[in-house]
Amino acid sequence: MTTQDQPIHPIALQYARDEKAGKLSRREFIARTTALGVTVPAAYGLLGLAAPTAANAQAQQGGSVRMQMEVRAVKDPRAFDWPQITYVTAGWLEYLVEYNNDGSFQPMLLESWEVNDNATVYILNVRQGVTWNDGTPFTAEDVARNITGWCDTTVEGNSMAARFSAIIDTETGQALEGAIEVVDEYTVQLNLPAPDITLIAGMSDYPAAITPADFNADTMLENPVGTGPYLPETVDVGIRATLVRNENHDWWGYAAGKGAYLDRIEYIDYGTDPSAWVAAAAADEVDIIYETVGDFVDIFNSIGFIESSVASSSTVVIRPNQRAEIDGMRPYADKRVRQAIAMAVDNAVCLELGYASRGEVARNQHVGPMHPAWADVPALPHDPARALELLQEAGMADFEMDLVSIDDDWRKNTTDAVAAQLRDAGFNVKRTIIPGATFWNDWTEYPFSSTDWNHRPIDTQTLGLAYRSGEAWNESGFANAEFDALLAEANAIPDADNRRVVMRRLQEIMTDEGVTLQPYWRTIYRHAKPGFVGWDMNIAYLPHIYKIGIAA
Amino acid sequence: MGLFILRRIGIMILTALCLTFIVFWLTNLFPNLEKLAKTQGNFRMSDEAVLTYLGNNGYLQPLPVKYGQWLGVLPGYVIEGSDGQIRARCASGNEDIADAPTFCGILQGNWGYSTVFREDAGSIIATRLGLTGKLMFWVMLLMVPGALIIGVLAGMNEGSRTDRSLSTVSILSTATPEYVSGVVFISVFATATFGMQWFKGTATAAMDDANFENFFLPVLTIALYGMGYIARMTRASMTEVMTAQYIRTARLKGVAFSQIVLRHALRNALIAPFTVIMLQFPFLLNGVVIVETLFNYKGFGWTLVQAASNNDIELLLGVSIVSVFVVLTTQLISDIGYVFLNPRIRIA
Repeated sequence: MTTQDQPIHPIALQYARDEKAGKLSRREFIARTTALGVTVPAAYGLLGLAAPTAANAQAQQGGSVRMQMEVRAVKDPRAFDWPQITYVTAGWLEYLVEYNNDGSFQPMLLESWEVNDNATVYILNVRQGVTWNDGTPFTAEDVARNITGWCDTTVEGNSMAARFSAIIDTETGQALEGAIEVVDEYTVQLNLPAPDITLIAGMSDYPAAITPADFNADTMLENPVGTGPYLPETVDVGIRATLVRNENHDWWGYAAGKGAYLDRIEYIDYGTDPSAWVAAAAADEVDIIYETVGDFVDIFNSIGFIESSVASSSTVVIRPNQRAEIDGMRPYADKRVRQAIAMAVDNAVCLELGYASRGEVARNQHVGPMHPAWADVPALPHDPARALELLQEAGMADFEMDLVSIDDDWRKNTTDAVAAQLRDAGFNVKRTIIPGATFWNDWTEYPFSSTDWNHRPIDTQTLGLAYRSGEAWNESGFANAEFDALLAEANAIPDADNRRVVMRRLQEIMTDEGVTLQPYWRTIYRHAKPGFVGWDMNIAYLPHIYKIGIAA
Repeated sequence: MGLFILRRIGIMILTALCLTFIVFWLTNLFPNLEKLAKTQGNFRMSDEAVLTYLGNNGYLQPLPVKYGQWLGVLPGYVIEGSDGQIRARCASGNEDIADAPTFCGILQGNWGYSTVFREDAGSIIATRLGLTGKLMFWVMLLMVPGALIIGVLAGMNEGSRTDRSLSTVSILSTATPEYVSGVVFISVFATATFGMQWFKGTATAAMDDANFENFFLPVLTIALYGMGYIARMTRASMTEVMTAQYIRTARLKGVAFSQIVLRHALRNALIAPFTVIMLQFPFLLNGVVIVETLFNYKGFGWTLVQAASNNDIELLLGVSIVSVFVVLTTQLISDIGYVFLNPRIRIA
């Protein structure tokens, strides 16, 4: 963490003026300034506020907790496609930086970081006194090795590469020569060819778990080397996973007062049907529900569970895949078809029927008012009659759209609401529901399907992950050179006001191309039995399991 | 008798071969293999990468060869992959390929590897079958005595009020499938809606520590379905016996009614239900698929659902073998038991 007597980053001062002028939300202000290396108290100080103190100071040492959660197979962290996996691995594989609900980035395995004025040089100061649980010290080499690994685009399913594309050589598919520099035993310097404001945010995301030197994904459970306070006891896919305290390891967090209060954490898989979770809660078989959705929020409140909610930019997209081929043709490659889909659907109806109105209506742009550089670009008008005309112009009026969704509560209901509105507009729509166990096998390949997307702190992040040409998670098959160029440009403008000009253009492209339906922003919920602390829902579903404890 | 049993075992092996071959063929259809490759490797593999993966892991060999390797009558593949690494079917994990056995199929006791659970298929089936066995045991304990008592009571006096009401109950319970009765039981007895929250609506905890509270509902759900059917069979058989000449003789002799039922009628009336009870075992295997999923009891039925929905080839084959074994063994027991119960029948 930068110390108070260091000069405040000039851009941070600009942000403080923006916040005062109402251009930045407080969360966004905290997110952006702490990403530049300003400490959390200093950031709050710029706003004339005192930093909030952690609420889990009242936890007692010891005890165990049982959490309802899908237990999925562990694999190479870079290929994680599901935050639930990290609730298991976070026991021993920790993160450099931690992202919190107030938008701040807290240092974890890093002690602090500094970013230069135009965001092209990052200096990462590695926390001293951290050891791996096999006894070797944690050094700058470990940080550099992990960042190099994140940049390796040849690893199948490596989504970290998209977050670190700024320092990847597109020809070799590896990190740029000289971009990652080990200055001394506890300092790493990143030299970017072009400014990028999102690297610290990228380090906090769930696939960014820090792995040891001879890490092997096949034996990571038998040989769980990491820096964290827990060890995996059992991981039975689809059944349960258990973490127990690693008694032989002096976790750095004990001295830093971080917690790790519990002796034992159990994750129990009750499938994807929320009514089974209610049954489990009523039977007192679980203490915490990973995530409560839709009508089940009220149901859990009614059985005496405590609610934790956070307004986020988590969302669901119902996207046609432009590259998908059906019977030798690409039905969604035609812009008119995609626009017709967007115009036939009223997003407010999707929010009401799909998510019980627990959120905000969105405009199909996957950038929202919670993002700093969001521009007020109108959505395509809701006009079912015109939608049908467009579809007929494209000659696709008889085409049967197969709308795929997972078999769960809110994603299925939202997709149903979309299908119903498309049918009302005169489209020919078939619905397919696929069970959770198989849905994700080829989620990017379905011609027309719904996917949930998590919150990301900075506006350009999701656009980069999901809509840049050729990205691993580009499920809409969107490939647009102008969009890619504008996105690179936006990523180099730290100032939100200046970036908004580019963002406006990006959002216009999203709207005009009808890339996706993105009907609403979700407020996300978690429930727990009374008597526990530190289990609050994280805005980005991050596994801050060391904070959980039994109330003293 | 010996020859009969031998012949039955022969049929069992033949059926198992046919069934596993069909399952093997279906799971090895190319779209299913493609799905498997994408789950194992990466959800966004290119078509070339899928082919390399499948080729490197021996999935692209001819179907009979693959089946032979799985059976253990052909030597397991040793393939030098496109990446230069040599992979052998029989070398698991870090084992040296030179030390690996040549044959490693089901005949050598190797059940294969589950791609979903990332574990040995044999040990998964053993654990899960054990859990289902526990469920079945309690189901049988509730279902068989319950059904026989209802059936005998109903069949003692055909047409009486007891007969009519018990028959209605058993028809109702047979006519209600598990997925209806299970949901009804959960909403009535496991939620506060009706003020009768006596049991737990999930049996996940019962896997380790079963008690009346968390295990009764799944047991009841399966048992009720079979109970009505067996009760009807018992009743039919009982009414038939009760009209027989020797019962009338006993009555005329002045034997007490309870003595007639217990001593004279019961043994003869139980011959037909015995077969039905044995045939219930395969039906129970059906029932557990639904009930285990509904109550989140991770047993054999749940494993079958997971294996099928993820195209987990070797686990599915293992499940098929166990199913064939259960069905045909219970039939064999039922045929042999019949001989002991009914001296008029001989098995050559």
